[in-house]
Amino acid sequence: MADSVVMGSGSLNSGSRSGSSKTSTSPTDNYQLARRRTLQVVVSSLLTECGFESAEKAAMETLTEMMQSYITEVGRCAKATCEHTARSTPTLSDVVITLVEMGFNVDTLPVYAKRSQRMVITAPPITNASVVPKALIAGQKRTHPTYIPSHFPEFPDPHTYIKTPTFREPVSDYQVVREKAASQRRDVERALTRFMAKTGETESLFKDDISAFPLIAAKPSAIPYLSALLPSELELQTLEETDSSEQDDQTDTENNSSNVSQDDQSADKENVVLPPGGVVPTGKANEENMIDNPYLRPVKKPKVRRKK
Amino acid sequence: MLSYKQNPDPSGLHSRRMNRKKDKGFEICINNINFQRKSVIGYVELTIFPTVMNLNRIKLNSKQCRIYRVRVNDLEAPFIYNDPTLEVCHHESKQRNLNYFSSAYTAAVSAVDPDAGNGELSIKVPSELWKQGDEMKVMKVYIEFSLDQPKGGLHFVVPDVDGSMAERAAHVFSFGNQNSTRFWFPCVDSYSELCTWKLEFTVDASMVAVSCGDLVETVYTHDMRKKTFHYMLPIPTAAPNISLAVGPFEILVDPYMHEVTHFCLPQLLPLLKQTMSYLHEIFEFYEEILTCRYPYSCFKTVFVDEAYVQVSSYASMSIFSTNLLHSGMIIDQTPVTRRCLAQALAQQFFGCFISRMSWSDEWVLKGISGYIYGLYLKKTFGVNEYRHWIKEELDKIVEYELKMGGVLLHPTFSGGKEKDNPTPHLHFSIRHPHTLSWEYYKMFQCKAHLVMRLIENRISMEFMLQVFNKLLSLASTASSQKYQSHMWSQMLVSTSGFLKSISNVSGKDIGPLIKQWVDQSGVVKFFGSFAFNRKRNVLELEIRQDYTSSGTQKYVGPIKVTVQELDGSFNHTLQIEENSLKHDIPCHSKSRRNKKKKIPLMNGEEVDMDLSAMDADSPLLWIRIDPDMSILRKVEFEQADFMWQYQLRFERDVVAQEEAISALEIFPTPASRLALTDILEQDQCFYKVRIQACFCLAKIANSMMSTWTGPPAMKSLFTRMFCCKSCPNIVKTNNFINFQSYFLQKTMPVAMALLRDVQNLCPKEVLNFILDLIKYNDNRKNKFSDNYYRAELIDALTNSLTPAISINNEVRTVDNLNTDVRLILEEITRFLNMEKLLPSYRNTITVSCLRAIRMLQKNGHIPSDPSLFKSYAQYGHFVDVRIAALEAVIDYTRGTHFVLTTNFLCLSFSMLGKLGPFSWSGIFFIFQLVCLLQRLGHNTISPNLMLIFSIYREVLHPSYVQKLFSFIIFIKERYSFTILTGKS
Repeated sequence: MADSVVMGSGSLNSGSRSGSSKTSTSPTDNYQLARRRTLQVVVSSLLTECGFESAEKAAMETLTEMMQSYITEVGRCAKATCEHTARSTPTLSDVVITLVEMGFNVDTLPVYAKRSQRMVITAPPITNASVVPKALIAGQKRTHPTYIPSHFPEFPDPHTYIKTPTFREPVSDYQVVREKAASQRRDVERALTRFMAKTGETESLFKDDISAFPLIAAKPSAIPYLSALLPSELELQTLEETDSSEQDDQTDTENNSSNVSQDDQSADKENVVLPPGGVVPTGKANEENMIDNPYLRPVKKPKVRRKK
Repeated sequence: MLSYKQNPDPSGLHSRRMNRKKDKGFEICINNINFQRKSVIGYVELTIFPTVMNLNRIKLNSKQCRIYRVRVNDLEAPFIYNDPTLEVCHHESKQRNLNYFSSAYTAAVSAVDPDAGNGELSIKVPSELWKQGDEMKVMKVYIEFSLDQPKGGLHFVVPDVDGSMAERAAHVFSFGNQNSTRFWFPCVDSYSELCTWKLEFTVDASMVAVSCGDLVETVYTHDMRKKTFHYMLPIPTAAPNISLAVGPFEILVDPYMHEVTHFCLPQLLPLLKQTMSYLHEIFEFYEEILTCRYPYSCFKTVFVDEAYVQVSSYASMSIFSTNLLHSGMIIDQTPVTRRCLAQALAQQFFGCFISRMSWSDEWVLKGISGYIYGLYLKKTFGVNEYRHWIKEELDKIVEYELKMGGVLLHPTFSGGKEKDNPTPHLHFSIRHPHTLSWEYYKMFQCKAHLVMRLIENRISMEFMLQVFNKLLSLASTASSQKYQSHMWSQMLVSTSGFLKSISNVSGKDIGPLIKQWVDQSGVVKFFGSFAFNRKRNVLELEIRQDYTSSGTQKYVGPIKVTVQELDGSFNHTLQIEENSLKHDIPCHSKSRRNKKKKIPLMNGEEVDMDLSAMDADSPLLWIRIDPDMSILRKVEFEQADFMWQYQLRFERDVVAQEEAISALEIFPTPASRLALTDILEQDQCFYKVRIQACFCLAKIANSMMSTWTGPPAMKSLFTRMFCCKSCPNIVKTNNFINFQSYFLQKTMPVAMALLRDVQNLCPKEVLNFILDLIKYNDNRKNKFSDNYYRAELIDALTNSLTPAISINNEVRTVDNLNTDVRLILEEITRFLNMEKLLPSYRNTITVSCLRAIRMLQKNGHIPSDPSLFKSYAQYGHFVDVRIAALEAVIDYTRGTHFVLTTNFLCLSFSMLGKLGPFSWSGIFFIFQLVCLLQRLGHNTISPNLMLIFSIYREVLHPSYVQKLFSFIIFIKERYSFTILTGKS
């Protein structure tokens, strides 16, 4: 690639640096990049001032590097000078001494700075320091008690160490329990059916407002008797439950107390409730093999006809 | 493929005598059943013993079969096929009215009547065999036939899903009204032509073929993809008693009786086990009372979808509707199914094993099977249930005959002329089972078993059972004989034979009884009133009769009257004679002397009564006329309200209690209210009486509206019986272990919803109460399903509806919905939607919801619109749902001024094509006909209908013409249809 920087444009063509710019994302890197870019601009403008129209990239880089070294050296020496006199912040005189030591004629500086054809370079944009998001504050933080010095870290949010009571007296009033169970079931049913109605085809009783009282559309099934005759899973489940735990006597008090304790009575209950003659003996499995029923016999193989 | 061997005896074709050729062996072989194309291919082979000389023509019955070839003794025989019922009226015919159609149809049916030696298929015996025929030698007739898309006789059920035919639960079964076997194979289709059978069915290896007789063996075909079921039926059986069912059935061998096998469609086996768990009890019962073993060596029950009728019985097998199956959680269906099983089994003895001589002897078979079925009811469900059933049946037949005219059990067709039709008013001929009205035949069966009960009353049950035993043992002796012994006629029952064995066994003459109820149609209508003559201490009873209006007859003979007096109950037998209306009955007790004495009842019980309500001068508590229902009668008896109340409270007979309840409807007094409430609370009282009391109480409460005090009728009672003690507005969680209280709990809200306040609205309190019942209904801990209960709660909501107040005929919109109606609609919507996710047994809840929605429409709360119902009426919904939806559509066509468009008619007919046979017996067809009839001129079949007949010949196949016809009559009967004048 023959890279050339167009002089005089003053623009920072960062295209050539794209390789690094993509990878450097941290604020420090950004800062250094910006600084270097500024230096490049400075070098370019100085070269333009001197009458160059274009420069090779390598030359540019070299000049920039030299410029940077020089400035760094000025800074380092100024710092050393200042520290030499037991101060921590360099002053103008420190810089002047440094420049003098480096063999620079300080007196020419004001003249050079005020030269007529100089180019003004705008300061690089100040990137906003990224704001560290504040942690969510919940509740009032506790202040330090007197015996803790104030430079110690603050207390964390109260929710991290204070327990909140969530326990309430269980409702045991029969009426309320029933009421709740009923409304809960109704809410679930309504929500479910509304959902089904919204997501599928519906029929409506009102022509003007189709959304009022939506009815899930009736879909014919190929074998309608199956769903109509077989007990639903819910019912089967109920049946199993009631089989294992006997139906509680229906006094109000027993209704709300749990019926776990009555489980032991359940064994002999099953026979009682069936209609007369409704009990099928279950121990027939063994006999099954002995039953001689023509429909249970194996199918015979066809007789092979002999061709004569 | 079905192959059967029937040995018909088409003997007397030429001799015009009743005994034709005897066909003594019949072989049928069906070797291909194609579910895809709904076709059947097979052959039959009949062995014929000529009983007349010159047998050169053999007539057989066959409808809709395609006959490929006929051979007689291996010689090709020419044949002619002509089915006159295919075109009953010719197009060019000028007369287009019901009477003309009726007589033409009767003539067509007579022309192929096997009992008269006729048939659709006429085979010419090859001349080479004439000589042999003269020597009365055996002939073998071999017929190859096929059946394509049968419209009757066989019904294919092929669900439209993916998979093989077995996976799709495709099945086929035979069905038919009376002798309809000719629809699926050529035979002598008569109940009086017995023969032995050999049946062979080759079906797909995944299927089972169930048929009559013993399964001898099952053999694979050579390619192992099919198997052949070989059946033998050695007991002589008539062709109409032969049946077939093929499908991928699940097999259950009865755990109690291994020779009994049950079949159901895939996935239903658990239900089958539950449903069949008590069949052995029915077997034991019948065998015990008849002191006769079940006549066949095996018994099979098959449960099929889209069954033509709930129950149909054939020799050694019965076909039931699959909808009779139920799980152990279902209460309401259980007794219904048991009754169906008991009916089917009763018909095995009388109807299948013992057949009938002729159509006019049908009543004996129906009577006996109905009667022994009644005995089973009495034993299983109790005397109360039995008496209640008898009363119900009696009321039904009385109502029908008084409205429609008499039902004749034993018609005699002496002259053979059509004009001798004994019931010209009915628009149909009772000469043939195929020309009969459906409704009439139902009533016929009902009357037959009631008459059997009357005979029992006369000769005692013991003798009755002896007669049955005699019939059965003669028949079973005969059945083991060869045909040549001429004993087989013992297996056919005739009216005269039956009466003869009654007189032999009992030594009693029941001639007058038979003359009155069997040879003559009509019922008796009594009006009774009384006066008490204090001076003579005599009860002056007046019994009048109405014997002039249609459906009535005059009764002369004894009648029992029971009088409950203070000193006890006394039976009196009065003679109803020609001109005597008044009867004096001496009373035993003086008007009350001993106030504190207990009062003896009929059953020996002694009870305390509060006698303050009664007339101080009279010792009469109540009077009953014909308490044993030993006359087919309707009694309208007048007695004072307090007497009805005493009767309700203290008479122990459920029939008396029910009569008292219906009588009390016109006495809306606090005393009646109290009597009804007491009955409601009494848990020893028969639950059906209590249910009736609920509705009566609602009526009385409405009549007493202005003076009614306290909470709405039944509310506090319901609260006390079914609600929690601590919070009376909440119903207990469901527990249906006590069936009596379950039925009461179901019924009370329905009756309460009938209450009305002064504005003729359902009281707010009642409506909220019902809504609360729905809200708090909790079935989680119940062993039984609550689907019927919830359905009845919806019915209760329906009952609470009253017509909307409409202002200026405004259009019904959501916004102007009444708040109560909004609540009701909310519940119905939720129920109906939930049903899609968790369907209830037999979709009872959908059915109730549809009815409720129709009622909302009808009362003007929501816009009247049949589209919802039409979608539910489609094929593919459960049959109960379809029927409910169709009822709603019919109601719509009646309620609004329905304009019949051609489009609508076409739509209806295109739907017709998709129907299974069940729908023909159901409401759908009525709906179609309502549409049709609106196009008819008064009592006239319009050219349009004729056109439709001919266009839809495929649909209105001959097998249905009779049904179509009887339905037209049925609609006229049922809906008292005012038919608009048609314009051609």
